[in-house]
Amino acid sequence: MSERITVEELAGLMKKAAGITVAPEDLQQLSDSGFDSFGLDSLGLLGIVGELENRYGTPMPPDAEKCKTPRQFLDLVNSALLAGA
Amino acid sequence: MSRRVAVTGIGIVAPGGIGVPAFWDLLTSGRTATRGITFFDPSGLRSQIAAECDFDPAAHGLDAEQIARADRYIQFALVAGEEAIRDSGLDLAAENPWRVGVSLGTAVGGTTRLEHDYVLVSHGGQRWDVDHREAGPHLHRAFAPSTLASAVAERFEARGPVQTVSTGCTSGLDAVGYAFHTIEEGRADVCIAGASDSPISPITMACFDAIKATSPSNDDPAHASRPFDADRNGFVMGEGGAVLVLEELEHARARGAHVYCEIGGYATFGNAYHMTGLTAEGLEMARAIEDALGQARLDGTAIDYVNAHGSGTLQNDRHETAAVKRALGAHAYETCMSSIKSMVGHSLGAIGAIEVVACALALAHQVVPPTANYETPDPECDLDYVPRVARERRLRNVLSVGSGFGGFQSAVVMTLPREKTL
Amino acid sequence: MSASHARRAAVTGIGVVAPNGTSTDAFWKATREGVSVIDPITREGCEGMPLRVAGQVRDFDPPSAIEERYLVQTDRFTHFAMAAADRALEEAGLGRADTDAAPFSVGVVTAAGSGGGEFGQRELQQLWGKGSRFVGPYQSIAWFYAASTGQISIRGGFKGPCGVIAADEAGGLDALAHAARGVRRGTDVIVAGATEAPLAPYSMVCQLGYEELSTVAEPDRAYRPFTSAACGFVPAEGGAMVVVEAEESARDRGAPVRALVAGHAATFTGASRWEESRQGLARAIQGALEEAGCAPEEIDVVFADALGVPEADRAEVLALADALGPHAGRVPVTAPKTGVGRGLAAAAVLDVAAAVLAMEQGVLPPTPNVFDVCHDLDLVTGRARATETRTALVLSRGLMGSNSALVLRRGAADAS
Repeated sequence: MSERITVEELAGLMKKAAGITVAPEDLQQLSDSGFDSFGLDSLGLLGIVGELENRYGTPMPPDAEKCKTPRQFLDLVNSALLAGA
Repeated sequence: MSRRVAVTGIGIVAPGGIGVPAFWDLLTSGRTATRGITFFDPSGLRSQIAAECDFDPAAHGLDAEQIARADRYIQFALVAGEEAIRDSGLDLAAENPWRVGVSLGTAVGGTTRLEHDYVLVSHGGQRWDVDHREAGPHLHRAFAPSTLASAVAERFEARGPVQTVSTGCTSGLDAVGYAFHTIEEGRADVCIAGASDSPISPITMACFDAIKATSPSNDDPAHASRPFDADRNGFVMGEGGAVLVLEELEHARARGAHVYCEIGGYATFGNAYHMTGLTAEGLEMARAIEDALGQARLDGTAIDYVNAHGSGTLQNDRHETAAVKRALGAHAYETCMSSIKSMVGHSLGAIGAIEVVACALALAHQVVPPTANYETPDPECDLDYVPRVARERRLRNVLSVGSGFGGFQSAVVMTLPREKTL
Repeated sequence: MSASHARRAAVTGIGVVAPNGTSTDAFWKATREGVSVIDPITREGCEGMPLRVAGQVRDFDPPSAIEERYLVQTDRFTHFAMAAADRALEEAGLGRADTDAAPFSVGVVTAAGSGGGEFGQRELQQLWGKGSRFVGPYQSIAWFYAASTGQISIRGGFKGPCGVIAADEAGGLDALAHAARGVRRGTDVIVAGATEAPLAPYSMVCQLGYEELSTVAEPDRAYRPFTSAACGFVPAEGGAMVVVEAEESARDRGAPVRALVAGHAATFTGASRWEESRQGLARAIQGALEEAGCAPEEIDVVFADALGVPEADRAEVLALADALGPHAGRVPVTAPKTGVGRGLAAAAVLDVAAAVLAMEQGVLPPTPNVFDVCHDLDLVTGRARATETRTALVLSRGLMGSNSALVLRRGAADAS
């Protein structure tokens, strides 16, 4: 399993955890836009964090659920995964 | 034409003590009833603490059949109902049963039994095609939320309007409010009102874990519920039930009943914002407060005490502080506001009615219960939260407010009996 | 309403998601023609149940009715509720611009009988099969009884009074009455009704304890109230939402007043004490007539509770006689729910929808699958009956002991 979450994976998680469809290219291009602009609410982000924690068997940084944008989130989560590896 | 509504009896099952004297003793002592969960093994949960009731239904007069049939939350309501009726001095046998209603709130109803039997029929969560033969005989009663009001109506032979109210965490306030309107509008003369919930079960704990709404202070449960404190970190689950006898004022006076207080006004609005989120402005709760005050024909400056929702989540504390300031203006700084959830936890649908009972007792004793565990002020929450110690205060009009998942914002105004002026 | 109530509550829109139709037109056509859609339960996981038939909503496509995220975040009962609310508001001609102009003037009230059972079962399976960390965040807002009211309020931006009532099947009528009272108290519009989705496997197991439930496997024989073959009732899913609006508000904006919620009363006589429900139902009828200022003779049609349990059917017939006097023997009575089943609190709301449409069309829908009536009752069977209808009485009783009656009047000066 890759130790790095890609934009594609994040798009997949948004779909699975919160029912939000967004094309990975759009997510990439708009990665500094707020999650809310994609329709993802705070519960959805919590669901994504929970999915990742269950997938990797390790807690995500406490601030992960407070990230406002896809870029922030991916940077934080990936640096944590890297540090944990 | 306006019919006034009196509170003539109260009964309660709450963490830290069963019955009104034990409850009031807890609240005025500032002790907390929160502890590590004992009902099941909570290991694996983020929040492993709760305010549990040490409740023995047999010791409180329920017989074996009642205990078998009634879910724990209904047992709470039956015991609290018994105390409230006794306290009111009402002779139900002499009342016209068609003029006696029931309005009881619950947020999650029979969830605990639903979960218990689910584990049996699914063989521990292993099968979607559950095996019905493993289900207990009273499961259908747990399934129907109306069982709460129905069981209490059967017990007290009420035959008027009987309903359960299930608006999440404002259920208790709303059930009292609906009962108030029922009597005011002339559809009943007496209403057994209140709420009950027993949500301390794995599924309910897990679902609040998933949204990190509950406190993870597992090492220090006694100080985990910290409403308005800068170090608060979520609410502590509770359980319990409270029942009030609401009665048309002239009906109460005609029989020489003791009147604790009047329900002066009730209103509820939706925030139309988010199922779990609250705005920083508190506009809709403020609107509910203003509407309830209007029904009571009171100005905001008349409020001597605000019983807060005060769940101990950051967003709640700020939302609510803003709402009270918006509705009461500068008087928000003159009055005082406390959260009994600091002591008895947050029993979801029940807590609103438990808080109405606390308000009735505050008016009766002219004492404001404190916010336990309040140590470090949050600069954004700058009202007088009655830290840790109960306070004697002249109380004539008090306000109880609540917020719930789904966006519900409710307010109840309670007053000492007085002559309303237009 | 009596003269003391200045504001009258009108019905200005109806939204239906029912086993026999997922639009008002389709529902009315099937109801008028007496089509029975009760059929074998095909829901996954329900194969081994002793309960064989139900009214299932088969032509509802959630992705085309509501935003995709709600498919993950909410239960089926809320999908129904949101879709029905949309249609009711559309019928009422209330757009987002109208409601946004005065958000505190629009409220939501639903009746709840089962909550988000399918969603809840899925999350229980996660919890007990895999562990607490596998319970998703939306469980906290999807399973509980207030989910639909909250979601409709938030999705529509409605900040008016919001409520959730549970009084068994009768709660459906109580929710509409609650909405009507809200209108009288000053709220202009309240979206009110009930939808249920109690056919998930575990929800069905939960209902098996009701001895009134029919376990007959033949769809056309399973639910036949008022006959000597009565053997209980058939469950169902779906429901309806209606727009209850201040009459003056509707007239001001030129919207048709399709009916008036004229009177209501509710009583309680104990769970499964059907013989006693006679008195309770009679009192509810009398209370509703009194509030409506309506004489028994003015009732043009009764939508019966029609539980399908001999003792309960008898009690209902006697209650009608007690409350309406000789008129009970003459007034047409119908129970279209025998063609779709009883979806807990939603059943009575569908009856209200049918009653409004019946008054508008001057046609009384029949009682499917019922032929040989064994009571002194003018039950509309076989075919619809054309007749001028100004006032309808809708009855409902709950398995936990509630009795409720609602009087509807035809919209007086139809603007259309």
